[in-house]
Amino acid sequence: MNASRPKRILIGKVGLDGHDRGAKFIVRALRNAGYEVIYTGIRRTPEQIVRAAIDEDVDAIGLSLLSGAHKELLSRVAELLKGEGAENIVLFAGGTIPDQDLAYLRSLGINRVFRPGAALSGILSALEEALTGGRSTGGGATT
Amino acid sequence: MDALIDKIRRGDRRSLARAMSLADKAGQEAQALKDRLRRSTGNVPWWGFTGPPGVGKSTLIDTLLGMLRQRGCRVGVVAVDPTSPVSDGALLGDRVRMMRHAVDEEVFIRSLATHRREGGLSDATLHCARLLELAGYDPVLIETVGVGQNEVDVAGVTDICVVIVGAGYGDDIQLTKAGLLEIADILVVNKCDLPDANRLLNEVREQLVLSSSATSGQAVYSDLTKSPGGTPDRKQASPGCTPKGMAPEVVGIEAKSGKDVDHLLEKLLELDRAARQPQQRQRHKQTRVLSEIRHSAMLVCEQALEDRLVAPATKELIAGLERGELSLDQVVRELSVISCQLSVEREPPRSGGRRLRTDG
Repeated sequence: MNASRPKRILIGKVGLDGHDRGAKFIVRALRNAGYEVIYTGIRRTPEQIVRAAIDEDVDAIGLSLLSGAHKELLSRVAELLKGEGAENIVLFAGGTIPDQDLAYLRSLGINRVFRPGAALSGILSALEEALTGGRSTGGGATT
Repeated sequence: MDALIDKIRRGDRRSLARAMSLADKAGQEAQALKDRLRRSTGNVPWWGFTGPPGVGKSTLIDTLLGMLRQRGCRVGVVAVDPTSPVSDGALLGDRVRMMRHAVDEEVFIRSLATHRREGGLSDATLHCARLLELAGYDPVLIETVGVGQNEVDVAGVTDICVVIVGAGYGDDIQLTKAGLLEIADILVVNKCDLPDANRLLNEVREQLVLSSSATSGQAVYSDLTKSPGGTPDRKQASPGCTPKGMAPEVVGIEAKSGKDVDHLLEKLLELDRAARQPQQRQRHKQTRVLSEIRHSAMLVCEQALEDRLVAPATKELIAGLERGELSLDQVVRELSVISCQLSVEREPPRSGGRRLRTDG
Protein backbone atom coordinates (compact mmCIF):
# COMPACT_ATOMS: atom_id res chain seq x y z
CA MET A 1 0.00 0.00 0.00
CA ASN A 2 1.35 3.35 -1.01
CA ALA A 3 1.26 6.46 1.08
CA SER A 4 -0.50 8.45 -1.61
CA ARG A 5 -3.46 7.55 -3.75
CA PRO A 6 -4.55 8.59 -7.23
CA LYS A 7 -6.42 11.88 -7.39
CA ARG A 8 -10.20 11.57 -7.54
CA ILE A 9 -12.26 13.39 -10.17
CA LEU A 10 -16.04 13.53 -10.47
CA ILE A 11 -17.38 13.75 -14.02
CA GLY A 12 -21.03 14.47 -14.70
CA LYS A 13 -23.64 16.26 -16.70
CA VAL A 14 -25.99 18.83 -15.20
CA GLY A 15 -29.35 20.05 -16.40
CA LEU A 16 -31.49 18.86 -19.28
CA ASP A 17 -28.72 17.51 -21.44
CA GLY A 18 -28.34 13.85 -22.37
CA HIS A 19 -25.42 14.06 -24.78
CA ASP A 20 -22.85 12.04 -22.86
CA ARG A 21 -20.40 10.81 -25.50
CA GLY A 22 -17.93 13.54 -24.64
CA ALA A 23 -18.24 13.02 -20.90
CA LYS A 24 -17.74 9.27 -21.26
CA PHE A 25 -14.73 9.82 -23.50
CA ILE A 26 -13.18 12.01 -20.81
CA VAL A 27 -14.01 9.40 -18.15
CA ARG A 28 -12.07 6.76 -20.07
CA ALA A 29 -9.17 9.09 -20.80
CA LEU A 30 -8.86 10.10 -17.13
CA ARG A 31 -9.03 6.48 -15.98
CA ASN A 32 -6.26 5.60 -18.42
CA ALA A 33 -4.24 8.56 -17.15
CA GLY A 34 -4.34 7.12 -13.63
CA TYR A 35 -7.18 9.04 -12.01
CA GLU A 36 -10.02 7.56 -10.01
CA VAL A 37 -13.12 8.76 -11.79
CA ILE A 38 -16.58 8.93 -10.25
CA TYR A 39 -19.19 9.19 -13.00
CA THR A 40 -22.61 10.54 -12.05
CA GLY A 41 -24.44 10.11 -15.36
CA ILE A 42 -26.72 12.57 -17.15
CA ARG A 43 -29.38 15.11 -16.14
CA ARG A 44 -28.15 15.76 -12.62
CA THR A 45 -28.95 18.77 -10.51
CA PRO A 46 -26.16 21.03 -9.18
CA GLU A 47 -27.19 19.86 -5.69
CA GLN A 48 -26.66 16.19 -6.59
CA ILE A 49 -23.29 16.94 -8.15
CA VAL A 50 -21.98 18.91 -5.18
CA ARG A 51 -23.25 16.42 -2.60
CA ALA A 52 -21.64 13.52 -4.48
CA ALA A 53 -18.40 15.49 -4.74
CA ILE A 54 -18.34 16.21 -1.01
CA ASP A 55 -19.19 12.63 0.02
CA GLU A 56 -16.61 11.19 -2.38
CA ASP A 57 -14.01 13.77 -1.23
CA VAL A 58 -12.93 14.46 -4.81
CA ASP A 59 -10.09 16.74 -5.90
CA ALA A 60 -11.88 18.01 -8.98
CA ILE A 61 -15.28 18.23 -10.64
CA GLY A 62 -15.60 18.21 -14.42
CA LEU A 63 -18.97 19.08 -15.92
CA SER A 64 -19.96 18.61 -19.53
CA LEU A 65 -22.57 20.99 -20.93
CA LEU A 66 -24.02 21.05 -24.44
CA SER A 67 -27.32 22.64 -23.51
CA GLY A 68 -26.45 26.32 -23.55
CA ALA A 69 -27.34 26.64 -19.87
CA HIS A 70 -23.71 26.58 -18.72
CA LYS A 71 -23.74 30.01 -17.09
CA GLU A 72 -26.73 29.28 -14.86
CA LEU A 73 -25.75 25.72 -13.97
CA LEU A 74 -22.06 26.32 -13.37
CA SER A 75 -22.69 29.41 -11.26
CA ARG A 76 -25.06 27.34 -9.10
CA VAL A 77 -22.45 24.59 -8.69
CA ALA A 78 -19.79 27.15 -7.78
CA GLU A 79 -22.15 28.78 -5.30
CA LEU A 80 -23.00 25.46 -3.62
CA LEU A 81 -19.32 24.54 -3.37
CA LYS A 82 -18.63 27.86 -1.72
CA GLY A 83 -21.50 27.24 0.70
CA GLU A 84 -19.88 23.96 1.68
CA GLY A 85 -16.50 25.64 2.12
CA ALA A 86 -15.22 23.44 -0.68
CA GLU A 87 -13.74 26.01 -3.05
CA ASN A 88 -10.54 23.98 -2.96
CA ILE A 89 -12.18 21.47 -5.32
CA VAL A 90 -11.06 22.32 -8.85
CA LEU A 91 -14.08 22.99 -11.05
CA PHE A 92 -13.65 22.61 -14.80
CA ALA A 93 -16.02 22.45 -17.74
CA GLY A 94 -16.32 21.10 -21.24
CA GLY A 95 -18.73 21.48 -24.11
CA THR A 96 -20.24 24.08 -26.40
CA ILE A 97 -19.32 27.25 -24.57
CA PRO A 98 -18.85 30.43 -26.66
CA ASP A 99 -15.96 32.86 -26.32
CA GLN A 100 -18.06 35.61 -24.80
CA ASP A 101 -18.92 33.47 -21.77
CA LEU A 102 -15.35 32.57 -20.80
CA ALA A 103 -14.77 35.73 -18.77
CA TYR A 104 -17.92 35.09 -16.76
CA LEU A 105 -16.85 31.50 -16.04
CA ARG A 106 -13.44 32.77 -14.98
CA SER A 107 -15.16 35.09 -12.52
CA LEU A 108 -16.69 31.95 -10.97
CA GLY A 109 -13.20 30.47 -10.58
CA ILE A 110 -13.58 28.18 -13.61
CA ASN A 111 -10.31 28.73 -15.43
CA ARG A 112 -10.27 25.54 -17.44
CA VAL A 113 -12.89 25.18 -20.14
CA PHE A 114 -12.40 22.57 -22.84
CA ARG A 115 -14.32 23.20 -26.00
CA PRO A 116 -14.89 21.35 -29.30
CA GLY A 117 -11.55 20.47 -30.84
CA ALA A 118 -9.62 20.54 -27.56
CA ALA A 119 -6.74 18.06 -27.74
CA LEU A 120 -6.82 15.30 -25.15
CA SER A 121 -3.15 15.86 -24.30
CA GLY A 122 -3.93 19.50 -23.55
CA ILE A 123 -6.86 18.53 -21.30
CA LEU A 124 -4.73 16.05 -19.36
CA SER A 125 -1.81 18.37 -18.87
CA ALA A 126 -4.07 21.23 -17.77
CA LEU A 127 -5.70 18.98 -15.17
CA GLU A 128 -2.40 17.64 -14.01
CA GLU A 129 -1.16 21.17 -13.53
CA ALA A 130 -4.31 22.13 -11.64
CA LEU A 131 -4.19 19.11 -9.35
CA THR A 132 -0.50 18.66 -8.68
CA GLY A 133 0.91 22.08 -9.35
CA GLY A 134 2.67 20.59 -12.37
CA ARG A 135 5.12 18.63 -10.26
CA SER A 136 4.11 15.17 -11.33
CA THR A 137 4.67 13.92 -14.83
CA GLY A 138 2.85 10.64 -14.44
CA GLY A 139 -0.78 11.54 -14.89
CA GLY A 140 -3.06 11.37 -11.90
CA ALA A 141 -1.13 8.86 -9.89
CA THR A 142 1.35 10.58 -7.66
CA THR A 143 3.09 7.39 -6.59
CA MET B 1 -8.08 12.67 16.43
CA ASP B 2 -10.77 12.92 19.09
CA ALA B 3 -11.98 16.17 17.55
CA LEU B 4 -12.37 14.43 14.18
CA ILE B 5 -14.23 11.50 15.75
CA ASP B 6 -16.57 13.94 17.52
CA LYS B 7 -17.34 15.80 14.31
CA ILE B 8 -18.14 12.55 12.53
CA ARG B 9 -20.41 11.47 15.37
CA ARG B 10 -22.23 14.79 15.16
CA GLY B 11 -22.95 14.13 11.49
CA ASP B 12 -20.42 16.41 9.76
CA ARG B 13 -20.36 14.97 6.21
CA ARG B 14 -17.13 16.63 5.19
CA SER B 15 -15.26 15.25 8.17
CA LEU B 16 -16.66 11.80 7.43
CA ALA B 17 -15.68 12.04 3.76
CA ARG B 18 -12.17 13.23 4.61
CA ALA B 19 -11.69 10.56 7.24
CA MET B 20 -12.57 8.01 4.57
CA SER B 21 -9.83 9.39 2.33
CA LEU B 22 -7.43 9.18 5.23
CA ALA B 23 -8.48 5.58 5.88
CA ASP B 24 -7.64 4.81 2.25
CA LYS B 25 -4.01 5.80 2.83
CA ALA B 26 -1.03 4.51 4.75
CA GLY B 27 0.96 6.39 7.37
CA GLN B 28 0.86 7.05 11.08
CA GLU B 29 -2.15 9.36 11.12
CA ALA B 30 -4.19 6.89 9.07
CA GLN B 31 -3.11 4.08 11.35
CA ALA B 32 -4.14 5.98 14.45
CA LEU B 33 -7.58 6.56 12.94
CA LYS B 34 -7.99 2.90 11.99
CA ASP B 35 -7.04 1.74 15.47
CA ARG B 36 -9.37 4.25 17.04
CA LEU B 37 -12.27 3.06 14.86
CA ARG B 38 -11.78 -0.55 15.83
CA ARG B 39 -12.44 0.40 19.46
CA SER B 40 -15.59 2.42 18.83
CA THR B 41 -17.56 0.27 16.40
CA GLY B 42 -18.86 -3.23 15.81
CA ASN B 43 -22.48 -3.00 16.86
CA VAL B 44 -24.13 -2.49 13.48
CA PRO B 45 -24.68 -5.39 11.08
CA TRP B 46 -23.02 -5.04 7.69
CA TRP B 47 -24.81 -6.41 4.66
CA GLY B 48 -22.55 -7.59 1.82
CA PHE B 49 -23.60 -7.76 -1.82
CA THR B 50 -21.53 -9.71 -4.30
CA GLY B 51 -21.90 -11.29 -7.72
CA PRO B 52 -20.62 -11.16 -11.30
CA PRO B 53 -20.20 -7.84 -13.16
CA GLY B 54 -23.44 -6.42 -14.52
CA VAL B 55 -25.70 -8.69 -12.49
CA GLY B 56 -27.44 -5.76 -10.81
CA LYS B 57 -25.68 -5.28 -7.46
CA SER B 58 -25.80 -1.47 -7.54
CA THR B 59 -29.33 -1.46 -8.91
CA LEU B 60 -30.49 -3.77 -6.13
CA ILE B 61 -28.82 -1.57 -3.51
CA ASP B 62 -30.52 1.47 -5.04
CA THR B 63 -33.92 -0.23 -4.71
CA LEU B 64 -33.18 -1.41 -1.16
CA LEU B 65 -32.04 2.12 -0.22
CA GLY B 66 -35.46 3.42 -1.21
CA MET B 67 -37.23 0.79 0.90
CA LEU B 68 -34.96 1.19 3.92
CA ARG B 69 -35.45 4.95 3.80
CA GLN B 70 -39.21 4.45 3.87
CA ARG B 71 -38.70 2.53 7.08
CA GLY B 72 -36.75 5.45 8.49
CA CYS B 73 -33.29 3.83 8.41
CA ARG B 74 -30.16 5.94 7.83
CA VAL B 75 -28.16 3.85 5.39
CA GLY B 76 -24.46 3.87 4.55
CA VAL B 77 -23.03 2.30 1.41
CA VAL B 78 -19.46 1.39 0.50
CA ALA B 79 -19.14 0.40 -3.18
CA VAL B 80 -15.92 -1.06 -4.55
CA ASP B 81 -14.80 -1.05 -8.19
CA PRO B 82 -11.55 -2.35 -9.69
CA THR B 83 -8.32 -0.40 -10.08
CA SER B 84 -6.75 -0.61 -13.53
CA PRO B 85 -3.73 -2.93 -13.55
CA VAL B 86 -2.31 -0.77 -16.35
CA SER B 87 -2.78 2.84 -15.25
CA ASP B 88 -3.69 2.63 -11.53
CA GLY B 89 -6.78 4.62 -12.44
CA ALA B 90 -10.34 3.45 -11.94
CA LEU B 91 -13.87 4.13 -13.03
CA LEU B 92 -16.02 4.16 -9.92
CA GLY B 93 -19.39 3.67 -11.54
CA ASP B 94 -21.65 2.16 -8.87
CA ARG B 95 -22.90 5.52 -7.66
CA VAL B 96 -24.44 6.31 -11.04
CA ARG B 97 -27.16 3.72 -10.28
CA MET B 98 -27.91 5.35 -6.92
CA MET B 99 -27.96 9.04 -7.82
CA ARG B 100 -31.59 9.55 -6.79
CA HIS B 101 -30.37 9.20 -3.20
CA ALA B 102 -27.53 11.70 -3.67
CA VAL B 103 -29.22 14.61 -1.90
CA ASP B 104 -30.79 12.52 0.86
CA GLU B 105 -29.15 13.60 4.15
CA GLU B 106 -29.79 10.17 5.63
CA VAL B 107 -27.86 8.28 2.96
CA PHE B 108 -24.09 8.26 2.56
CA ILE B 109 -22.51 6.52 -0.42
CA ARG B 110 -18.77 6.16 -0.86
CA SER B 111 -16.97 4.64 -3.85
CA LEU B 112 -13.62 2.92 -3.40
CA ALA B 113 -11.08 1.45 -5.80
CA THR B 114 -9.49 -1.93 -5.03
CA HIS B 115 -5.93 -0.61 -5.41
CA ARG B 116 -5.14 -4.03 -6.84
CA ARG B 117 -6.16 -5.98 -3.80
CA GLU B 118 -7.67 -9.27 -4.87
CA GLY B 119 -10.66 -10.86 -3.20
CA GLY B 120 -13.37 -8.40 -4.24
CA LEU B 121 -12.83 -5.64 -1.64
CA SER B 122 -10.30 -2.87 -1.04
CA ASP B 123 -8.19 -2.41 2.08
CA ALA B 124 -10.19 0.65 3.05
CA THR B 125 -13.60 -1.07 2.86
CA LEU B 126 -13.60 -2.20 6.47
CA HIS B 127 -12.43 1.19 7.76
CA CYS B 128 -14.98 3.11 5.70
CA ALA B 129 -17.78 0.82 6.90
CA ARG B 130 -16.64 1.46 10.49
CA LEU B 131 -16.67 5.21 9.81
CA LEU B 132 -20.24 4.98 8.51
CA GLU B 133 -21.20 3.09 11.64
CA LEU B 134 -19.57 5.76 13.78
CA ALA B 135 -21.58 8.43 11.96
CA GLY B 136 -24.79 6.62 12.85
CA TYR B 137 -25.59 4.84 9.62
CA ASP B 138 -27.41 1.57 10.25
CA PRO B 139 -27.31 -0.76 8.41
CA VAL B 140 -24.10 -0.48 6.40
CA LEU B 141 -24.22 -1.98 2.90
CA ILE B 142 -21.05 -3.16 1.18
CA GLU B 143 -20.89 -3.81 -2.56
CA THR B 144 -17.93 -5.80 -3.89
CA VAL B 145 -16.38 -5.47 -7.33
CA GLY B 146 -17.96 -7.67 -9.98
CA VAL B 147 -16.56 -11.04 -8.97
CA GLY B 148 -15.79 -14.32 -10.65
CA GLN B 149 -15.81 -17.62 -8.88
CA ASN B 150 -13.37 -17.19 -6.06
CA GLU B 151 -13.43 -13.63 -4.67
CA VAL B 152 -15.03 -14.30 -1.33
CA ASP B 153 -13.38 -11.79 1.08
CA VAL B 154 -16.76 -10.20 1.65
CA ALA B 155 -17.93 -13.23 3.63
CA GLY B 156 -15.24 -12.70 6.26
CA VAL B 157 -16.13 -9.05 6.78
CA THR B 158 -19.93 -8.80 6.59
CA ASP B 159 -22.67 -10.13 8.84
CA ILE B 160 -25.01 -11.05 6.01
CA CYS B 161 -23.72 -12.10 2.63
CA VAL B 162 -26.02 -11.73 -0.37
CA VAL B 163 -24.81 -13.44 -3.54
CA ILE B 164 -26.53 -12.25 -6.70
CA VAL B 165 -26.63 -14.19 -9.94
CA GLY B 166 -28.65 -13.48 -13.04
CA ALA B 167 -29.81 -14.97 -16.29
CA GLY B 168 -26.81 -16.12 -18.28
CA TYR B 169 -24.83 -17.20 -15.23
CA GLY B 170 -24.22 -20.61 -16.73
CA ASP B 171 -25.45 -24.16 -16.60
CA ASP B 172 -25.59 -26.64 -13.72
CA ILE B 173 -21.85 -27.32 -14.03
CA GLN B 174 -21.07 -23.69 -13.28
CA LEU B 175 -23.40 -23.82 -10.33
CA THR B 176 -21.71 -26.96 -9.04
CA LYS B 177 -18.26 -25.33 -8.92
CA ALA B 178 -16.99 -24.39 -5.51
CA GLY B 179 -16.62 -20.78 -4.42
CA LEU B 180 -18.98 -17.88 -4.71
CA LEU B 181 -22.30 -19.67 -4.24
CA GLU B 182 -21.08 -21.33 -1.06
CA ILE B 183 -20.68 -18.07 0.87
CA ALA B 184 -24.29 -16.94 0.44
CA ASP B 185 -26.65 -16.37 3.35
CA ILE B 186 -29.21 -15.30 0.78
CA LEU B 187 -28.92 -16.23 -2.88
CA VAL B 188 -30.63 -13.78 -5.18
CA VAL B 189 -31.53 -14.57 -8.77
CA ASN B 190 -31.95 -11.19 -10.43
CA LYS B 191 -33.51 -10.24 -13.76
CA CYS B 192 -36.34 -12.73 -13.27
CA ASP B 193 -38.17 -11.09 -16.16
CA LEU B 194 -35.73 -12.74 -18.57
CA PRO B 195 -36.61 -16.12 -20.12
CA ASP B 196 -33.61 -17.94 -18.67
CA ALA B 197 -34.39 -16.98 -15.07
CA ASN B 198 -36.78 -19.78 -14.15
CA ARG B 199 -34.33 -22.46 -15.21
CA LEU B 200 -31.60 -20.77 -13.16
CA LEU B 201 -33.86 -20.40 -10.14
CA ASN B 202 -34.74 -24.10 -10.23
CA GLU B 203 -31.15 -25.21 -10.77
CA VAL B 204 -29.88 -23.04 -7.93
CA ARG B 205 -32.51 -24.48 -5.59
CA GLU B 206 -31.68 -28.06 -6.54
CA GLN B 207 -27.99 -27.39 -6.28
CA LEU B 208 -28.34 -26.03 -2.78
CA VAL B 209 -30.44 -28.97 -1.61
CA LEU B 210 -27.69 -31.31 -2.79
CA SER B 211 -24.72 -29.42 -1.39
CA SER B 212 -26.41 -28.93 1.97
CA SER B 213 -27.63 -32.49 2.38
CA ALA B 214 -24.07 -33.65 1.75
CA THR B 215 -23.04 -32.23 5.10
CA SER B 216 -26.10 -32.54 7.24
CA GLY B 217 -29.33 -33.03 5.39
CA GLN B 218 -31.64 -32.27 8.24
CA ALA B 219 -34.27 -29.64 7.83
CA VAL B 220 -32.68 -28.54 4.60
CA TYR B 221 -35.59 -29.29 2.40
CA SER B 222 -38.12 -27.58 4.61
CA ASP B 223 -35.84 -24.57 4.82
CA LEU B 224 -35.58 -24.40 1.08
CA THR B 225 -39.26 -24.68 0.50
CA LYS B 226 -39.67 -21.42 2.36
CA SER B 227 -40.70 -22.41 5.81
CA PRO B 228 -40.60 -19.27 7.95
CA GLY B 229 -37.00 -20.27 8.75
CA GLY B 230 -34.28 -17.73 9.42
CA THR B 231 -33.89 -18.61 13.07
CA PRO B 232 -31.20 -16.83 15.09
CA ASP B 233 -29.18 -20.04 15.15
CA ARG B 234 -28.58 -19.94 11.43
CA LYS B 235 -25.36 -18.05 11.67
CA GLN B 236 -23.69 -19.47 14.69
CA ALA B 237 -21.22 -21.84 13.13
CA SER B 238 -19.40 -19.40 10.93
CA PRO B 239 -19.91 -15.64 10.99
CA GLY B 240 -20.72 -14.19 7.64
CA CYS B 241 -21.74 -17.58 6.35
CA THR B 242 -24.71 -19.81 6.84
CA PRO B 243 -23.61 -22.87 8.81
CA LYS B 244 -22.86 -26.03 6.96
CA GLY B 245 -25.97 -28.05 6.45
CA MET B 246 -28.21 -25.00 6.24
CA ALA B 247 -29.17 -23.95 2.77
CA PRO B 248 -29.41 -20.21 2.15
CA GLU B 249 -32.68 -18.64 1.16
CA VAL B 250 -33.15 -18.39 -2.59
CA VAL B 251 -35.05 -15.34 -3.75
CA GLY B 252 -35.95 -14.40 -7.31
CA ILE B 253 -36.29 -10.67 -7.97
CA GLU B 254 -36.31 -7.90 -10.54
CA ALA B 255 -34.02 -5.30 -8.97
CA LYS B 256 -34.82 -2.54 -11.40
CA SER B 257 -38.62 -2.63 -11.18
CA GLY B 258 -38.43 -3.63 -7.52
CA LYS B 259 -40.54 -6.75 -8.06
CA ASP B 260 -40.22 -9.14 -5.09
CA VAL B 261 -37.45 -7.03 -3.53
CA ASP B 262 -39.80 -6.47 -0.56
CA HIS B 263 -39.69 -10.23 0.04
CA LEU B 264 -35.88 -10.13 -0.08
CA LEU B 265 -35.82 -7.21 2.36
CA GLU B 266 -37.93 -9.20 4.85
CA LYS B 267 -35.38 -12.01 4.71
CA LEU B 268 -32.53 -9.53 5.14
CA LEU B 269 -34.18 -7.90 8.15
CA GLU B 270 -34.72 -11.32 9.71
CA LEU B 271 -31.00 -12.10 9.45
CA ASP B 272 -30.21 -8.56 10.58
CA ARG B 273 -32.18 -9.06 13.78
CA ALA B 274 -30.34 -12.29 14.48
CA ALA B 275 -27.00 -10.60 13.81
CA ARG B 276 -27.70 -7.96 16.46
CA GLN B 277 -27.63 -10.40 19.35
CA PRO B 278 -24.64 -9.73 21.65
CA GLN B 279 -23.16 -13.16 21.09
CA GLN B 280 -23.22 -12.60 17.32
CA ARG B 281 -21.71 -9.13 17.65
CA GLN B 282 -18.76 -10.49 19.59
CA ARG B 283 -18.24 -13.26 17.05
CA HIS B 284 -18.30 -10.85 14.15
CA LYS B 285 -15.89 -8.41 15.75
CA GLN B 286 -13.42 -11.25 16.20
CA THR B 287 -13.83 -12.44 12.63
CA ARG B 288 -13.20 -8.95 11.27
CA VAL B 289 -10.11 -8.40 13.37
CA LEU B 290 -8.79 -11.80 12.32
CA SER B 291 -9.30 -10.96 8.68
CA GLU B 292 -7.50 -7.64 9.26
CA ILE B 293 -4.53 -9.33 10.90
CA ARG B 294 -4.33 -11.95 8.20
CA HIS B 295 -4.42 -9.42 5.41
CA SER B 296 -1.94 -7.02 7.01
CA ALA B 297 0.49 -9.78 7.83
CA MET B 298 0.30 -11.00 4.25
CA LEU B 299 1.15 -7.50 3.01
CA VAL B 300 4.25 -7.41 5.22
CA CYS B 301 5.39 -10.82 4.03
CA GLU B 302 4.75 -10.00 0.39
CA GLN B 303 6.69 -6.76 0.65
CA ALA B 304 9.56 -8.46 2.41
CA LEU B 305 9.67 -11.10 -0.31
CA GLU B 306 9.54 -8.49 -3.08
CA ASP B 307 12.44 -6.61 -1.43
CA ARG B 308 14.37 -9.83 -1.14
CA LEU B 309 13.76 -10.85 -4.77
CA VAL B 310 15.46 -7.72 -6.07
CA ALA B 311 18.35 -7.87 -3.58
CA PRO B 312 21.78 -8.60 -5.14
CA ALA B 313 22.32 -11.75 -3.05
CA THR B 314 19.21 -13.33 -4.53
CA LYS B 315 20.77 -13.34 -7.99
CA GLU B 316 22.88 -16.33 -6.94
CA LEU B 317 19.79 -18.26 -5.88
CA ILE B 318 17.99 -17.46 -9.11
CA ALA B 319 21.01 -18.45 -11.19
CA GLY B 320 21.34 -21.66 -9.19
CA LEU B 321 17.75 -22.55 -9.95
CA GLU B 322 18.20 -21.74 -13.63
CA ARG B 323 21.29 -23.95 -13.85
CA GLY B 324 19.51 -26.76 -12.10
CA GLU B 325 21.89 -26.74 -9.13
CA LEU B 326 19.15 -25.82 -6.68
CA SER B 327 15.60 -27.08 -6.42
CA LEU B 328 12.69 -24.68 -6.29
CA ASP B 329 11.99 -25.93 -2.82
CA GLN B 330 15.49 -24.99 -1.65
CA VAL B 331 15.26 -21.53 -3.13
CA VAL B 332 11.85 -20.90 -1.62
CA ARG B 333 12.97 -22.09 1.77
CA GLU B 334 16.01 -19.82 1.63
CA LEU B 335 13.91 -16.84 0.64
CA SER B 336 11.24 -17.52 3.23
CA VAL B 337 13.75 -17.68 6.07
CA ILE B 338 15.38 -14.47 5.01
CA SER B 339 12.05 -12.77 4.43
CA CYS B 340 10.76 -13.64 7.86
CA GLN B 341 13.92 -12.31 9.48
CA LEU B 342 13.62 -9.17 7.43
CA SER B 343 10.07 -8.50 8.42
CA VAL B 344 10.92 -8.92 12.08
CA GLU B 345 14.12 -6.88 12.01
CA ARG B 346 12.84 -4.06 9.83
CA GLU B 347 11.94 -0.79 11.36
CA PRO B 348 8.48 -0.28 10.01
CA PRO B 349 8.94 1.84 6.89
CA ARG B 350 5.60 0.83 5.44
CA SER B 351 2.04 0.70 6.55
CA GLY B 352 2.02 -3.08 6.71
CA GLY B 353 4.82 -3.21 9.24
CA ARG B 354 3.15 -0.82 11.60
CA ARG B 355 -0.16 -2.52 11.22
CA LEU B 356 1.20 -5.90 12.20
CA ARG B 357 2.80 -4.46 15.30
CA THR B 358 -0.39 -2.75 16.34
CA ASP B 359 -2.70 -5.63 15.69
CA GLY B 360 -0.60 -8.57 16.68
